[in-house]
This record gives sequence, C-alpha cells and structure tokens, in this order.
Amino acid sequence: MNVAAKTYQKGEIPGVIAIKASACKGCDACKRHCPTGAITGSFGATHSVDVDSCLSCGQCLINCPFGAPYETSDTVDEVIARLKDRNTTVVGIIAPAVRVAIGEDFGLPAGSLVTGKLYGSMKKAGFEILDNNFAADLTIMEEGTEFIVRARHAVFGEKSEHGAEIGPLPQFTSCCPAWVRLVETKYPTLIPNLSSAKSPQQMAGTVAKTYGTKVWGKSAEKIYTVGIMPCTAKKLEASRPEFNNAYEYNKKNGRALTDKPYPDIDTVLTTRDLSRLFKKLKINLAAEKDADGGSLLADYTGAGTIFGNTGGVMEAALRTAYAVLTGEELKPLEFKPVRGLKGVKSASVKLKDTKYNKEVTVNVAVIHNIAENIKPVIDEVLSGRSPYHFIEVMNCPGGCINGGGQPIYGNGSSWLGAIRPLFAWK
Amino acid sequence: MEKQSYQYIENPLHVTRREFITIGGIVAAFLALPAVWIKMVTSSNNNYILARTKGLYRDDEKASIRVSHANKSVARYYKEFGGEPLGHLSHELLHTKYINRTKGLS
Repeated sequence: MNVAAKTYQKGEIPGVIAIKASACKGCDACKRHCPTGAITGSFGATHSVDVDSCLSCGQCLINCPFGAPYETSDTVDEVIARLKDRNTTVVGIIAPAVRVAIGEDFGLPAGSLVTGKLYGSMKKAGFEILDNNFAADLTIMEEGTEFIVRARHAVFGEKSEHGAEIGPLPQFTSCCPAWVRLVETKYPTLIPNLSSAKSPQQMAGTVAKTYGTKVWGKSAEKIYTVGIMPCTAKKLEASRPEFNNAYEYNKKNGRALTDKPYPDIDTVLTTRDLSRLFKKLKINLAAEKDADGGSLLADYTGAGTIFGNTGGVMEAALRTAYAVLTGEELKPLEFKPVRGLKGVKSASVKLKDTKYNKEVTVNVAVIHNIAENIKPVIDEVLSGRSPYHFIEVMNCPGGCINGGGQPIYGNGSSWLGAIRPLFAWK
Repeated sequence: MEKQSYQYIENPLHVTRREFITIGGIVAAFLALPAVWIKMVTSSNNNYILARTKGLYRDDEKASIRVSHANKSVARYYKEFGGEPLGHLSHELLHTKYINRTKGLS
C-alpha cells in the first residue's frame, strides 16, 4: 500500500493499476493513453503510477506493448473457492460489454455476441446469473426520472415531491467509475451535476442482496456477488466503503443474521479474469451450449445492452425520457447522432412535455476517451456557458467495450508476445 | 603500381554503383516500415472497437423489448419491492453521494 495516497477512503483499493518495473522499457506508449497524466518517469526510465491521480481505468494496461502494467487486485482463486463452497450462492453480474469480447479469449472473432454461451459457461462453473443489463434498465428508470425532475425544475420551476434537493443541469451520467473519480479528484465543484443514481454494478449488488434473497431463496449472508466487468476501475468502485446499502437495509429491517457488515459487491472480475477462471475450470466457452439466464434478474431490454457502447447510456435514457414526457415511443428507436467514434457527439431533441403542454428542446452531448476530449466540455460547464442539459461521459475510447479489463487486442500487450516466438533469440 | 593502389582505396567494399542504389533502396524501405506498421496497428485498433460496438447494437436489434420502461422484470421489482423510481426505497438503495477527494482523505 502506498502511504502517500491521499485520495482514497479507508477500505478502498488504493489504485488498481501498478507497473512491473522489470517489464517496463520506458517507451512512453502508455502516457498517450492515460487520461490524467498519472504515469511518471522520463523516456527510457522505468515508469510508475501516481495513485492519487490515477483513475484505475486500465487504458495503459491494454495498450502497453510489453505487458508491464498489472492489476493489484486478483480474486480469481477466491471466486473459485466460493464456487466450490456448497453453502454459498455465487451471483455473477455480467456487464453488457463482456458478451461481445470474451469470445476473443476462446478463439472466436472480435465482436462475437456470445450471451448464451456465456450464460452456459457461467452455470457450468456454478454461478447464478444477474444480468447487469437488468440493472442497466433499472439505472435508466432512476437516472432518466432524475433527469426529468431536474429539467422540469430548471424549466418550469417544479418543486420536488418529497422536498428533496434537486441537482442542477447539465446532468452528468455516473455509470463510469473512472469518470466519477475524475470529478471527485479534479472537478469537485461538478459533484452536484453528477447523477445521484449508482452505477448498474452497484445497483445490481444491492438488488441481489435485498430483493434477490426472495428470488434465490437465500439469506444475504449466503449470497456472494461477483461483478464481471470490462473494467479495472470497477474493482475500486466496489471497494468504496459506503456501498453496503443492502447490509444497512437488512439490518434496519431485522433481516441481518449477524453484525458483520458485507459489501454490496463482494468482488469484481474483469473479462480477462473470467476467461482465466473458465480456463482453470477447464470450461471452453466457444464449445459451450447456449443457456438462458434462469431468473427474472437476467431479463433485459435492448436499451440495457447498449450501455457498453459510447452513446449507449444516452440513447437508452432518451428512449425512456421521450416516452415518459410525450406519452409516445421515440421513432425510430435508433438514435444515430450519439453513435460512432467521434470525440464529442451532440444532438438536440425537440419534444412536447404533455404535463405542461409545452415544447422543450433537450440538448445532449456524449463524450468518450477522456484523455483527449473532456477538457473543452468541462470548461464550458464550469464557466456556465454549456449549451447541454444532459451529458454522458465514458472514460475509455469507444466506451466500455474497449475498457481496461477487456481481452487485449491489436496494439496492446499481446502483440509482442504473439510475434516473439518467430524470432530466433526470443 | 601507383595506379593499382589508388584503385584499391577507391572501392574497398567492391560495391558497384547499381548495388549501392539497391542497398540505399532497401534501407529507405526499412526506414519507412514503422510508419506503415503504426498505421496498420492503429487501424486494427479501431476495427476491434467497431466489431464489439456492432455486436452490442445487434443484441439491441434482436431484442423483443428495446426500451427500459417496458422491462417486465424491472416493473415487477418496483411492484413487489422497490416502490417507484426516485421513491423512498430507491433513494436508500439505488442512489449515492459523492466525495470531494481534493482535500486529502486519510
């Protein structure tokens, strides 16, 4: 543990990413991908990570040609031990981006959609499934409603029903833990603009240990929740000490069996970690039969699944907000202006708020690849000149599908390892 | 004799004019390789991002329900347990507060 760490609460993992000094060649490739300039060390010298400015996003890890950055938290063996324990119900919470990437680790082409095979492999390994896309739908219900409340407050001066404080516009999405950490460590004045809705992973953990106890007929103490994420920053997010809402709720309602607090998410595996777990258990995902989710907590919609793409959260939120405000479904459902790999995407939606019978225009923006694109948009918001009402931010280029926990591809750590056997000196 | 030793110094590597141009060309091609290679690597980078993106949009297109408010299981969650979006229980279980980390936490 780094004694100098000042930006972590007690109990949090103080930085998920570290650099193996013996593997680092000082080539500076990682610095180009770091959103905060947290990598120190001059060209040619061994680099290291400044944990206080590091967001734990893992972009350096998937883009290093020498495989030098590594994750400080690895719980694959612990999860395997829990899976073997018959008294524990291990719940795998599968993020959307995992299902289009994990196939690559088992020889399938990039982008293969393997939801059924993934469910099958998970069940074979002993997991119960809570699809995080279910929680994504839940997030849209909460975050979309929150946006409507904020917008009506700003436009029509509507007061909150419960007298609660209503946050300002623009509202920022809060699903991306690296983005949340950037706000908390660098732009604290924007904290009120962040949606108060928890990320889908954290909602899923709370639901699993409250409502889920009825679904699986197990007490919360016997449920072990595993976030399966395309993301290294989710490991840090899960370790935040305030995320034990299920324990607090169960204790308050006399449903806690012991005084021992438990977190909403017990541990997080990245997509790569899950591949490793399958391989250790001799499960070949590519050859596995399709299976279904097995409970209502695995039901999801198309809106939930596109959360993994840049623009996906915005598109899903617009589909629901449009229907709630106008009473009609958005047509067509595909909202193209927020799709694609442009750095900052923006769009305006004209719609009629049926409650007030007035036309309103909603300006939205979508940002990905924080390293290159966030600065101008933040500066606008800080100076009060931002034209936007709702802004989605994802740290990684392309969104979660290219997260720091995904299989390493192309120019990442793998390419050198792949060509090395071809050389005589290896 | 003088003439011979002069010729020996003039061409110590026995490289003819044509051979010199060939070697120069090969060296130039090697110097250009990194540029080609970087382009290849960065374009394949975008390719796998685009392939995964397409995979998720395909998942959306083939879904029978494509809007969150029509998810029956989510509706059931609110009916049997959660109440309503932004309701009392939602605030307790599904929302959070953020921390100003610029002040130095211990």
